[in-house]
Amino acid sequence: MKRIRTIAAVVAVAAVFATTACTSTPPGSSSDPSEKANLTFWSWVPGVDKAVDLWNKENPNIQVKLEQTPAGSSGTYAKMYSALKAGKGAPDLAQIEYQELPGFVLENGLVDLKPLGMGVESSKFVDWQLGQSTFGDSVYAVPQASGPMGLYYREDIFSALGLKAPATWDEYAVAAKTIHDANPAQYINTFAPGNSAWFTALAWQAGAKWFGLDGDTWTVNIDSDTTLKVASYWDKLREAGLIKTEPDFANGWYSDLQNGNIVAWPSAQWGGSILSGNAPTTAGKWKVAPLPQWDSTYASANWGGSSTAVLKGTSNAQAAEKFAVWLNTDPQSISLLLAGGYGWPAAKNALAGSTLDKPEEFLGGQNANKDVFKKSDESINTSWGWIPTTANTYTHLNDGFQAAVEGHGTFVDAVKAAQTATIADLEAKGLKVRAGD
Amino acid sequence: MTTTERAYTGKKGKNQSSKQPSTVQKPRKIQRSPGWRILVTAALAVAAVYFLFPVYWLTIAATKSTSSLFGSSGLALDNPQLLTNLVNVVTYNGGIFGRWALNSVLYSGVGAVVATICSLAAGYCLAKFTFRGREVWFNIILAGVMIPGTALALPLFLLMSQVGLVNTYWSVLLPSLVSPFGVYLGRIYAQAAVPDSLLEASRLDGAGEFRIFFTLVLRLMMPAAVTIFLFQFIGIWNNFFLPLVMLSDQSLYPITLGLVQWQSVSDRHPELYQLAIGGAFLSVIPIMIAIVSLQRFWKAGLTEGSVKG
Repeated sequence: MKRIRTIAAVVAVAAVFATTACTSTPPGSSSDPSEKANLTFWSWVPGVDKAVDLWNKENPNIQVKLEQTPAGSSGTYAKMYSALKAGKGAPDLAQIEYQELPGFVLENGLVDLKPLGMGVESSKFVDWQLGQSTFGDSVYAVPQASGPMGLYYREDIFSALGLKAPATWDEYAVAAKTIHDANPAQYINTFAPGNSAWFTALAWQAGAKWFGLDGDTWTVNIDSDTTLKVASYWDKLREAGLIKTEPDFANGWYSDLQNGNIVAWPSAQWGGSILSGNAPTTAGKWKVAPLPQWDSTYASANWGGSSTAVLKGTSNAQAAEKFAVWLNTDPQSISLLLAGGYGWPAAKNALAGSTLDKPEEFLGGQNANKDVFKKSDESINTSWGWIPTTANTYTHLNDGFQAAVEGHGTFVDAVKAAQTATIADLEAKGLKVRAGD
Repeated sequence: MTTTERAYTGKKGKNQSSKQPSTVQKPRKIQRSPGWRILVTAALAVAAVYFLFPVYWLTIAATKSTSSLFGSSGLALDNPQLLTNLVNVVTYNGGIFGRWALNSVLYSGVGAVVATICSLAAGYCLAKFTFRGREVWFNIILAGVMIPGTALALPLFLLMSQVGLVNTYWSVLLPSLVSPFGVYLGRIYAQAAVPDSLLEASRLDGAGEFRIFFTLVLRLMMPAAVTIFLFQFIGIWNNFFLPLVMLSDQSLYPITLGLVQWQSVSDRHPELYQLAIGGAFLSVIPIMIAIVSLQRFWKAGLTEGSVKG
């Protein structure tokens, strides 16, 4: 059984590279735009239903049926894989997060959109986000949204202690100590041991590049000096007792945000709605600053990001591509998605004149999108990529971080262990792997 | 399973001792020392607290606003607004929750009724008729009890996909119509509760086999029927994985899948957290009603005295 799966994986990889080499037209595609098409679309993004309604009203020939599913990692990805394997029942279009794209490409489940028009349309998207869906010479998805990062902090508490928003990570550590010394109940932030996607983003910011594809060989470089520097930084804060290590997005953390026991959060642009939704009583007390820096050149990172992909077996790939590009570039569609809180648009120049470009009451009147996140989005390291087993890597890191929090080992150990385990994951899929860049 | 078995063995004891038709028997008083009784009562009290605690938490949480859900103690009331929350649950997204509730009732109700009748018929046959390969069939069905439904979901998906039933009511309903455990229970119950002499008498009186089953055997097996019905109903009601694999159209979702969909996007929309809790609160109510209203059938003796013992 295992042998068969390994062989299947090898065949799938070969197929991917074969399609990369010769850009053949995908099966089932029709190039006549006036032809009638009925498409299904799986997505869980709030507000996407309104955008789909708008499309259906404007395009009577291409009707999209939206099926709102649970979020991908809550089971929908598994369902897509089963449907692809069954050869029936997969939607024409689907929501896929950036870190999951390589897995679907490996299973040969996505239609190359480049010959269908994405090659021409690609200039409409922010470079690094387009890079997330580009594999070799093919573009396997239309970028939708991302989460450029900044530092959310309680301006009232910081200024009462005479602190400014920390510009460097060294200043951040000093602020952590000042805050905790002044009030032992207060901590600067939590290092959530179960959320390694957050740690990954911080390593990304520091200049790490964990994964790559060199020819047909995947490269894994998690335990680089850069990542170890970031892990050891948080190890020191943890050992000094200056940060909390409770889970984020959980009751205790929400409660700490409400009562001011946690006073900062290096987070993505979409983090604002989480703070305002779960700690409404702290309105007006928060501000956003750029992420603290390691070096003098400003660098940022991304946390979370998603795309619209066209799945193999679609009845009309051309119509599906047309809808996917419209959904993620049309100003009206973008503003409907923004109202739902989908994150930061992947389309270029989406900020000016949109609902993002305004002062926010929750942030005491700051226009953080213009002040901080626009620049953040433009300063994200474009070469970051993912592997087909990203979810497993997250699990390995979570396990190591959790052990460290319980007193077994350190965050540095967790990073080193994740390197070894990730190489084993890829080998188990029958893929060529090597350590290093 | 243990509850059922206990209920069942209790019944058997009563069958033997009773002569009175259809009256509820008072259990025979067994004298124990006071120390023993205190111990047993204390153990039961601990068990009750253990099982009721999550229900208590859910009830309290369902009354809270999104911010006090996290900002106040989980065990105490804080500006209760149960009605507002529940109205939000049933009106959100054009009242989709009502649709999910009806779907859950359909899947669980139809699934449990059909599964119960099939299980009883199969169990009765296996108990009272001799035919070639009877034990083999029974053992194969018994093996089905050991295979968790989750493990079957993906193969079922591939099957349904072949016949084009994925993302329809049938894809969830068809697998819910069978219950290996029900067949097992049906057989052991029929063995004990359906007297051969009664069947012989009916046949002598000229009743056909179907008539015997539907008018006589079903009634004798009512306690088993209730047990199978409840198990199957609750099993389907709480089933998450099968609908997850089969369904993608929101309007076909049962409550479980719908609530997970809300909860899984609640990090972007915190109010959905409260809606998922309110929905969970509403969804346990029908289960409570089913248990409370049907459990008396476990106690009531139906067969006492029907045959001279």
